[in-house]
Amino acid sequence: MSHKLPLNGIRVLDFTWVGAGPITTQVLAEYGAEVIKIESGTRLDYLRLLPPFKDGRAGVERSGYFSNRNPNKKGISLNLKHRRALEIIKELIRKSDIICENFTAHTMERWGLGYEDVRKIKPDIIYAGMPLMGSDGPHVNYRGFGVQVSSLIGILHLTGFPEEEPFGMGTNYPDHVPNPMHTAFAILAALRHKKKTGEGQYIELSQIEAPLCVLPTPIMDYMINGRVQNRQGNQHLDFAPHGIYPVQGKNRWIALAVQSEDEWQSLKAAMGMPEWAEKDAFAANAERIANQTELNEIIAHWTVNYAGDDLLRLLIKAKVRAGLVKDARDVLHDPQLNYRRHFVYLDHPEMGYHVYNYSPVHMSKTPAVLDQAAPLLGEHTKQVMKDLLNLDEGMFEEMKKEGVFD
Amino acid sequence: MSKSQGSLSGIRVLEFAGEIGNYTGKLFANLGAEVIQIEPIEGNPVRRAAPFYKDIPDKEGSLQFIYQNTGKKGIVLDIEKEQGKEIFLKLAKTADLLLESSPPGYLNKLNLGYDRLSAINPKLVYTSVTGYGQNGPYRDYPWSDITTLAMGGLLYLAAQGDDLPARVPDNQAFMMGAMHAATGSMLALIEAEYSGRGQYLDVSLQECVATALENAIQLYDLEGSIRRGIGHFEAGMGIYPCQDGYVYLVAGIGGNVNLWNTFVDWLIEEKVEGADIFIQDEWKTPQFRRKAEAKQRFNEIFVPFTMKHNKLYLFENGQNRRVTIHPVNNPRDICEDSHIRYRKFMADYFSESLGGQVFMPGAPYRLSQTPWNLGAEPPKLGQHTAEILQEIGYDAKQIQDFMQGGVCFVAQASS
Repeated sequence: MSHKLPLNGIRVLDFTWVGAGPITTQVLAEYGAEVIKIESGTRLDYLRLLPPFKDGRAGVERSGYFSNRNPNKKGISLNLKHRRALEIIKELIRKSDIICENFTAHTMERWGLGYEDVRKIKPDIIYAGMPLMGSDGPHVNYRGFGVQVSSLIGILHLTGFPEEEPFGMGTNYPDHVPNPMHTAFAILAALRHKKKTGEGQYIELSQIEAPLCVLPTPIMDYMINGRVQNRQGNQHLDFAPHGIYPVQGKNRWIALAVQSEDEWQSLKAAMGMPEWAEKDAFAANAERIANQTELNEIIAHWTVNYAGDDLLRLLIKAKVRAGLVKDARDVLHDPQLNYRRHFVYLDHPEMGYHVYNYSPVHMSKTPAVLDQAAPLLGEHTKQVMKDLLNLDEGMFEEMKKEGVFD
Repeated sequence: MSKSQGSLSGIRVLEFAGEIGNYTGKLFANLGAEVIQIEPIEGNPVRRAAPFYKDIPDKEGSLQFIYQNTGKKGIVLDIEKEQGKEIFLKLAKTADLLLESSPPGYLNKLNLGYDRLSAINPKLVYTSVTGYGQNGPYRDYPWSDITTLAMGGLLYLAAQGDDLPARVPDNQAFMMGAMHAATGSMLALIEAEYSGRGQYLDVSLQECVATALENAIQLYDLEGSIRRGIGHFEAGMGIYPCQDGYVYLVAGIGGNVNLWNTFVDWLIEEKVEGADIFIQDEWKTPQFRRKAEAKQRFNEIFVPFTMKHNKLYLFENGQNRRVTIHPVNNPRDICEDSHIRYRKFMADYFSESLGGQVFMPGAPYRLSQTPWNLGAEPPKLGQHTAEILQEIGYDAKQIQDFMQGGVCFVAQASS
């Protein structure tokens, strides 16, 4: 690619695996950093073992779950139990600017690769650790899956319908956005500080704390007002009508948000100024909030007669905030996302061309570059050993025989 | 370098981004950037968002507004007026980053678009966050949090089977836009500090949402199927009721036998009646655990045990035996959680104007050399208008005239 990228010349040693970590380093990789992903054949990044697989056929090099968060990275595989593998890692650390890891707290220290160890050999390193529960506290060693982070921080309790069981977002949101994006922001802030002062630092992100930072209101409402918020479907605290309404077809809905009196008038106009909308019970926002159950039922009786696309067109024309509840197929075929080239297809030795999400930030001068499919296990081991450690063919083969790479 | 300076000290951010960009500005402010929020005459719409401090509706009392705006300065300006525009341009000349979230084309029409601003300040990074971005067929669609969550595909996942999905609180589409805008802007600032040239960033909420679908897009691309949320997929995985709410257990997940064995050992240690059948080999396979009869049998044995205990007991006792079980916490549970308290995650300060203590989530990360800092109380409406106008060269008389002409709003000195 011809243009220079903001992180050209920055090398990242990436010990992350599974969820939040690899998405963090993907951001760095898209904007020019050289990201070296360290894997081990005996302890795989287990997303490699989880579906979806190309053509539904399982295989270590066939998972789209793994590939979508690991493009543009170089993959090397090392047997971390081998003494010489550790030496190689230390040599790579000396040549790196950033380390990122998301193991359980203190795992890296047990390998002699904690921040205090690393800064002895690379004093200005930026070292980002993302332990699940942080590095201290009574539950520091507790374990959990992504969905359980959502359970701990209230996403399950707060998302769903009040009369039903807690549900949540149906996906491990903290892993996919709040944890990686906060970590990436902190790394970049630390990088700016290093460029100004020469000083590196340690960044700790607890995977239950960062996502709580984007869910502040229920916490504040409890601590300040003593109220324990419950899940409330699709109601809005400030406006009505607000929610999801059925349209023609199975599992087809449209989302509507009326946020002002003008917008209510627009919605009424779109509905053909029905008589019921003039009732006192819906006269102003306060009444509409008080009577929203009834209001939503009436609106649903109207929306259900329409095909989603037709209704969306009608509402947008009337300047009503509306959007279809799109499933993955709709999203992949969405005209807007495709106009903006949000989906990029990259070629891969075993999977062939398959889909990746492009950066949602479009930069005019230094647009993200997404041009390498996710690495095969150990795909770049030899190249990295040669380029960064000056290992010649003979030495590489000898170490390979010794079992340094796996 | 002194530890008291944040990693972003020396960066000036102009935030004119309403409800979408507040959190972006907060991320910058808490790491030491100087963030000036420009509010319209009627104030940032978030000032009107419930709930309020002590449930008293007030333009300084919105909990969301308070949370998103500590450590910032605030100026109130009508940029549609000629003098307002002039002030905006003078401010833009002093800034490193402009955050805005107006409908596409709006600032261009006022002649405050990127081309104009970069001509007077070449190093400026100009970041726009909108529902669908600056081009394409949906460019001018009106948006809100729920509509962009829907159009980006995340809302569909928030249910199972044929159920109606539900929206997560706190405007997560806006939050995603804010986080991506912050990271993108930071990349562009690093580049601008090196090259001396800023650039234009176009962030679409729909795209931010579409990047958060876990594996749903790839599942359709590679296997042709469409997913939603996963509920009780197999016995030993999902939500189970207990004495005071619910717990979330992951003991059965695919071929992971260790998790299952650890779980069964715990039940046997707890003398759970009937748990010894879980030792049988069939229970160690996902194929068996996915059967309706297995799920039913599991509930008959496990739920009587969970109903005897509260979620904290099940959490701590299970975890101490390496079982991955968690409480389904509500906001009170989170605030009272011993681990969160031990780590002093919550931040607080005394507010004289609100007449009490303010509590909120604290730092999302800990930086060893350049610590995060909550900063001062959020600006009252127009609190820094006069100070900032003076800084860019206006005198008291001019400021008075602006105020009378409705160009700006100046808060009266401390009440």
